Amino acid sequence: MRKTTRGVRYAVALIALSLVAAACSSDSSSDTVPTDTVAPVPEVSYPTNLADCANVTYDYTTPASTSAGMTVTYDIAPEAVWEDGTPITAADFSATWSASLNTPGSITTTGYDQITSVEAGTSDKQVVATFKSVYAPYKTLFFPLVKAAALSNTSDASADFADFLGYSARPYKMKSWSPSQVVYVPNDNYWGTDKALTKKVVMVPKADSDTEIASIKAGEVDFIYPQYYGGITEAVAQDDITSKVTFGGDYEAFYFNQKCGPFADPIFRAAFSMSIDREALFQQIYIPISDQASLLECGPIVPGPYCAGDEFTGSFDATGAETLLTDNGWAKGSDGYWAKGGEAAPAVRWTINTGNTRRENTQAYLIPLLQAAGFNVAADNCDAACYFQQRLPALDYDMAMYISTAPPDPGYLTNAFVCDQIPTAANGNIGQNSQGWCNAEASDLLHAADAETDTTVRADNIKQVLRLMAADHVLLPLFQFPKSGFWRTDKVGGPVDGELNNYTAFRNFDQWTDVDGDGQIVIGAEQWPACLNPITECANSSWMVWTSAFVVSPGVWATTNDGGYALTNLVTGEPVVTVL
Amino acid sequence: MLRFIVRRIAWAIPTLLLVTFLVYVALRLGTNPVYSFLRANPRATPDKIATYKELNGLGNNYVVGYLNWLRHFVTFDWPRSIKGSREVFPALKDALANSLRLGLAATFVGIVIGLAIGVFAALHAGGRRDVAVNTGAFIGISIPPYISSILLQLLFAVYWSRWFGHTLFPTSGVYPPGHEGFNAILMLKHMALPIVVVAIQIIAVYSRYMRSSLLDVLNSDYMRTARSKGISERRILIRHGMRNALIPVVTVAAIEVGSIVGGLIITENIFDYPGMGRYFLTAFGDGDFPLMMPWMVIIVASILLFNLIADVTYAWLDPRIRLE
Repeated sequence: MRKTTRGVRYAVALIALSLVAAACSSDSSSDTVPTDTVAPVPEVSYPTNLADCANVTYDYTTPASTSAGMTVTYDIAPEAVWEDGTPITAADFSATWSASLNTPGSITTTGYDQITSVEAGTSDKQVVATFKSVYAPYKTLFFPLVKAAALSNTSDASADFADFLGYSARPYKMKSWSPSQVVYVPNDNYWGTDKALTKKVVMVPKADSDTEIASIKAGEVDFIYPQYYGGITEAVAQDDITSKVTFGGDYEAFYFNQKCGPFADPIFRAAFSMSIDREALFQQIYIPISDQASLLECGPIVPGPYCAGDEFTGSFDATGAETLLTDNGWAKGSDGYWAKGGEAAPAVRWTINTGNTRRENTQAYLIPLLQAAGFNVAADNCDAACYFQQRLPALDYDMAMYISTAPPDPGYLTNAFVCDQIPTAANGNIGQNSQGWCNAEASDLLHAADAETDTTVRADNIKQVLRLMAADHVLLPLFQFPKSGFWRTDKVGGPVDGELNNYTAFRNFDQWTDVDGDGQIVIGAEQWPACLNPITECANSSWMVWTSAFVVSPGVWATTNDGGYALTNLVTGEPVVTVL
Repeated sequence: MLRFIVRRIAWAIPTLLLVTFLVYVALRLGTNPVYSFLRANPRATPDKIATYKELNGLGNNYVVGYLNWLRHFVTFDWPRSIKGSREVFPALKDALANSLRLGLAATFVGIVIGLAIGVFAALHAGGRRDVAVNTGAFIGISIPPYISSILLQLLFAVYWSRWFGHTLFPTSGVYPPGHEGFNAILMLKHMALPIVVVAIQIIAVYSRYMRSSLLDVLNSDYMRTARSKGISERRILIRHGMRNALIPVVTVAAIEVGSIVGGLIITENIFDYPGMGRYFLTAFGDGDFPLMMPWMVIIVASILLFNLIADVTYAWLDPRIRLE
């Protein structure tokens, strides 16, 4: 039937050999670890040339502690037990500390790296954590608390919890997990009064927003918690579906990468930032989403005790931007774009995740205006995985726009904005300072805030940092983003809207009731955890912790709807903090 | 025939090796697997990095690296996924089973209905019924899966639930939320809408193939000869017409089934169906090399296998063809 000619065979063989030869001769650079060759330059260097980005280094030394340290003593409730009835003890606190600090790929070591020991006190129901220095955000630690007996190795928990999170000290425990659903059933050994009210809670992935909406309208899921957008209330509207829209810790902002690229030049960055009319943008993009919204003026934090509320007010000054540039030797070239010494500034790569209509609309609105103002801006977008997992962590962008979720304690600002958290070869490429912002004064203030027990002084420190951010044009805050929950009133009841704006979102579902009597409550999840390990980088997603770790893990403190912390029944009373 | 099959299998092995090698090189160049690992494990120790590179064959030399990966692959010493550090085989096996179930069911339904419609149209060529079939086929081909999916979800789930208090066919998943264990009825109910979405396109395409193929056969000389011998029209159609008209159709069908193993990415995504398409999208998004390589091997192997099946079926349908 089929005869292969000799010529064809030779040709195929030749091509194959060529490919093999090409592969053999390929260099190994493609999969080597990207390393920054740190040149020993005496001062901060801010190249505008992208190729030099890897050589950036920061001349900043983390301030030495001024205190002798502190201890925090926790008294665990005598009746507090895990799902198998074994008591929760100091060993679980110690294991959580060790695993968080030592596991390769730990999602955060912040705070845990300030602890020198975690030991049992007068009994194994008392925990004494000793810190090198005063650590103000100590309430953020030991949550999620992990069961020591569930860890195979407290120095490296990365191989644990691959597809099951079997421990629990909360009203529900996990019965099964798969890529299709996670099933929770009541934890019979839970000691609290807020026991589970429904036989079964099931969470299912609903990644596609049309399917998510169709599912709740068809009654296949009882509750959804979608990212809010203008028109979603109308899209979900149905007689037996109710909703609540509220404001929590989510905020959206523009970020400018200062490590390298055009915004490494502080004058150019300032002029660019001053040329963005946030109020006009707000009217164009955000008012259609929520007419109750107001422009966010705080910075990378939502309104509250740590923000005066006017830090970024008056950021738009187009005339001032022109004057700033011309006074510093910039002039518009024949193409209408700003240039200095006859050399045009590099084009600004504005990166967002493709498919996000709001961000694409923002680009469509703003790019022509910025171009008319003399800035050569172009969209340089990629999909969500590429954007959030590659471009942002690698600081491979000039301008970005995304939503962050602020936890109640401002300690997260240290992770995200101090000099020593900019990923470089010198610090092993760790840190979440994805803006590359290094202001020594601000870094000192943030470190000092972390070591400050006086909440007023701490708040003052944070407010000063926000003003420094505004002065340095690190970012432009835009909008405190609404949180929205939709649920079927014929299927689920109780305090469904009770914690929608909480950092831990709908964690109170143990108090929801099964109205239709089908024996279960079904929650649709917009994102699905690819893994369940609460210690590792896996947990770097709100949905991951909402659907797994937060459900089963206890903590000394719980976050409150008003952005604070409240003690839980894990302990008998307020932990005792002693400054040494 | 047997000799042909053995020879084809013998050829398939080097082809499989060559293609998987090219895929291996492409994935290393395109996704930088070591960087993906470090992104998920930013403080991985040198020992951990070395183990990951060794298990995945990520040494500096691509040929040595590929052979190293191949050794681990064929001995079932598969590395765990980057994200979640999970075993790869169970997830891949489940995804493959789900995609095969959906793909084969949709293909079977689509081809059977498509062929029947094609025969009907050919027998009434030029008439109003033929025009109706052609128009329907064009509409079917023109409706993209993401439109038909949403329309079907609205009709059989959202509005049906509003009218009758319950959905007729669910919008997503393999089973209803909370169900554990195997239940064929529930599974079929959940697969109904995705099967229809995929089958619409197949019906449209195969009715067109069958119509034109059968028209060619019906107008051929040997059919005229058969009629002149006085053989009944029904026997002519079934024994001579259908069998010969099916030859090109079967070839296309076998190749298409091979490609279905790769997953129906759009349909699986819209219906939250955990098949091979969803598996690959997730793995690719995470740059998860240990998940992607076995997926690629299965795709290549299935395409080779179904090409072989196409050739064998071709010969079986037409005895004049000699597989030499």
